[in-house]
Amino acid sequence: MPDATTMPAVALSGIRKSYGPLEVLHGVSLAAREGEVISILGSSGSGKSTLLRCINMLEVPNGGSVAFHGETISLDQTPGRAPRPRDSAQINRLRSKAAMVFQSFNLWSHLTILENLIEAPVHVQKRSRKDCLAEAEALLERVGIADKRHCYPTHLSGGQQQRAAIARALAMQPRVMLFDEPTSALDPELVGEVLKVMRDLAAEGRTMLIVTHEMAFARDVSTRTVFLHKGRIEEEGPPSEVFSNPRSERFRQFVSREHLQG
Amino acid sequence: MNTLGLMSFGPDGWGYSMLAATGTTVAVAACGFFVGALLGCLGAAASLSRLRVLRLVADFYTTVLRGIPDLLVIYLFYFGSSSVISTASALFGAEGFVGAPAFLTGALAIGVVSGAYQMQVFRGAVLALSKGEIEAGRAYGMPSLLLFRRIVLPQAARFAIPGIGNVWQLVLKESALISVIGLVELMRQAQIGSGSTRQPFSFYLTAGALYLLITLVSGLVFRFAEKQAMRGIRRGV
Amino acid sequence: MPFDLPFLAESFVALLRGIPLTLQLTVLSVVAGGILAFGLAFMRISRRWWLDAPARFYILVFRGTPLLVQIYIIYYGLSQFPVLRNSVLWPFLREAYWCAMLALAFNTAAYSAEIIRGGLLSVPAGHVEAARACGMSGFLLFRRIVMPLALRQMLPGYSNEIILMVKSTALASTITLLEITGIAAKLISESYRPVEIFVCAGAIYLAINFLVARLFAWLEYAVSPETRKPEERRA
Ligand SMILES: Nc1ncnc2c1ncn2[C@@H]1O[C@H](COP(=O)(O)OP(=O)(O)OP(=O)(O)O)[C@@H](O)[C@H]1O
Ligand SMILES: [Mg+2]
Repeated sequence: MPDATTMPAVALSGIRKSYGPLEVLHGVSLAAREGEVISILGSSGSGKSTLLRCINMLEVPNGGSVAFHGETISLDQTPGRAPRPRDSAQINRLRSKAAMVFQSFNLWSHLTILENLIEAPVHVQKRSRKDCLAEAEALLERVGIADKRHCYPTHLSGGQQQRAAIARALAMQPRVMLFDEPTSALDPELVGEVLKVMRDLAAEGRTMLIVTHEMAFARDVSTRTVFLHKGRIEEEGPPSEVFSNPRSERFRQFVSREHLQG
Repeated sequence: MNTLGLMSFGPDGWGYSMLAATGTTVAVAACGFFVGALLGCLGAAASLSRLRVLRLVADFYTTVLRGIPDLLVIYLFYFGSSSVISTASALFGAEGFVGAPAFLTGALAIGVVSGAYQMQVFRGAVLALSKGEIEAGRAYGMPSLLLFRRIVLPQAARFAIPGIGNVWQLVLKESALISVIGLVELMRQAQIGSGSTRQPFSFYLTAGALYLLITLVSGLVFRFAEKQAMRGIRRGV
Repeated sequence: MPFDLPFLAESFVALLRGIPLTLQLTVLSVVAGGILAFGLAFMRISRRWWLDAPARFYILVFRGTPLLVQIYIIYYGLSQFPVLRNSVLWPFLREAYWCAMLALAFNTAAYSAEIIRGGLLSVPAGHVEAARACGMSGFLLFRRIVMPLALRQMLPGYSNEIILMVKSTALASTITLLEITGIAAKLISESYRPVEIFVCAGAIYLAINFLVARLFAWLEYAVSPETRKPEERRA
């Protein structure tokens, strides 16, 4: 057991989110300790993306709270009005510590790969350009696309783009990394190269929350698996337990269905 | 007198003259527009033809006319035809400058200008046609003219409607320039009115409002036409 | 008609003197109108109806009426009001030069606003979201991500708008300004030789517009290196 006094890297408590009359998340609580790799599973529309986006406030939850290392994000959740952050400086500061990797990469098309990597470190975190460049080069080397550093995103394959996007997230020196189905926009033969990079990250003890449909990956790599169903956590625990011995019937069905497809 | 009083339809009001002038504006714009449609069709056909000379001529036409001010073209047509008429009437013993008919020269001038724009629209519409459908026509043995009339034209017309709508709005606004050669359309009537009442703001504002009204109404008409023409076409976006 | 070369040359030189005024009117009104257009475009995309509605109305009015009406309202129309005639603005509003400039700027603002709005709306939502997720917001986000991406979309439309503006400056001649078309009209009414003068004036306008088009083609090339092949870029 890790020291009980250390603050969790990310703590969600009672997160509720509605779009108009439709409540998508009905009070989700989840805490990720430092170094944990949490995989979030669930069928389409269960609210996985919404949950992830509530963590870095791309969606502002209607109820509940989010805290990074004990610092709670200050939110204005007056009923009857759209929820909004109280302090945008706080949001920007915390966002730069919780880097997100998107399903559709979202590399900025007007910047080269290298420029994509140093954009936020230089302009948001105000670090020196020289240091950032050196670090970016090393990161690209690490994800195996150093030769592409002066290319624009459109000239890269999907797998290379996603690896560049992961490097961009790493360049922020994040305390937490959020992945929203990082491999589902990729051709099957490109999935492996991205998963390998993520495996390495998990092995070096990074705190990661990963929404994924890759069962084998979730099972092998994550320290904890969360199964979301209709905006609630239905099953939660170490993958070795939940996969071999699921408590919830729905999760059992979900696993067998995905296995048949996979 | 306030603007509403000025524009009343009573004996002292300018309502009737302004309304009649609006009619002239629409008429001259419509004539110019049709001349332009004719030239635009010819131009588009030429620019899509296999003959290099025709393509060059069409290209020259649309580049030049879209690159120089319309006012200059109107001056050319007015003074050009006036000097021809003056020369001709001098042969019959008349003296001095004889002005050309403003309506005719004005309509021709904006026709030639709008033709350059309409040519681009038609060209684009033809190029947007599905190659497959034309090939299907060929495969069923349709001769060129029949293919053009039955397949190309009806489809191209559909694609052309939005662009043509824009050109019509352009022509309508350009027609105001014909006032400089003395045709009593809306703009000129407003000038006359403001000259004799010393209330230019009221008159030009009224003219502006009437132009706005025409452009709004024609916008609605074209939107309706587009909707009608687009029935049965699945939109990609 | 005999081809009179000396006359052609003489008219050409006379017309060349109109170029500075034509360019001044174009550049100043495009700059002023561009600033106004940005404001209008932001009002349009603000998602607040009380900002959106006035901007919509402005654009509707200025795009739905002839530029000539706008010029006349400002130059002739405003003199109807004694309040204005006695105000500090009158020295400006009395001058045809400033009136033409004002009308051209107001006019191009309406058209440019829609071009700018189109450019801003073309920025992919994912790109903006990725920037937000990195902690960018406000002016930084606009300057580093939104504007560069929007610019690429806007340039072709804006190039057209500027060519239209060069042509529109001809209307300044109707309120006594002697730019290229004003000089041409004067020469024609003095000499009754419209064709030669038309050819000269037309050639000058075509040359200006050709240069504008080339300039924008170059700008477009310069700001979008990502559309080029890697080899080209290194050269
Ligand atoms: N911006 C939005 N406006 C309205 N409804 C939304 C919005 N975003 C998501 N939803 C709804 O919220 C629910 C959860 O969506 P979410 O994207 O979180 O699902 P997901 O679990 O990520 O699914 P998938 O596996 O397909 O990505 C869905 O019913 C969706 O229709
Ligand atoms: Mg999702």
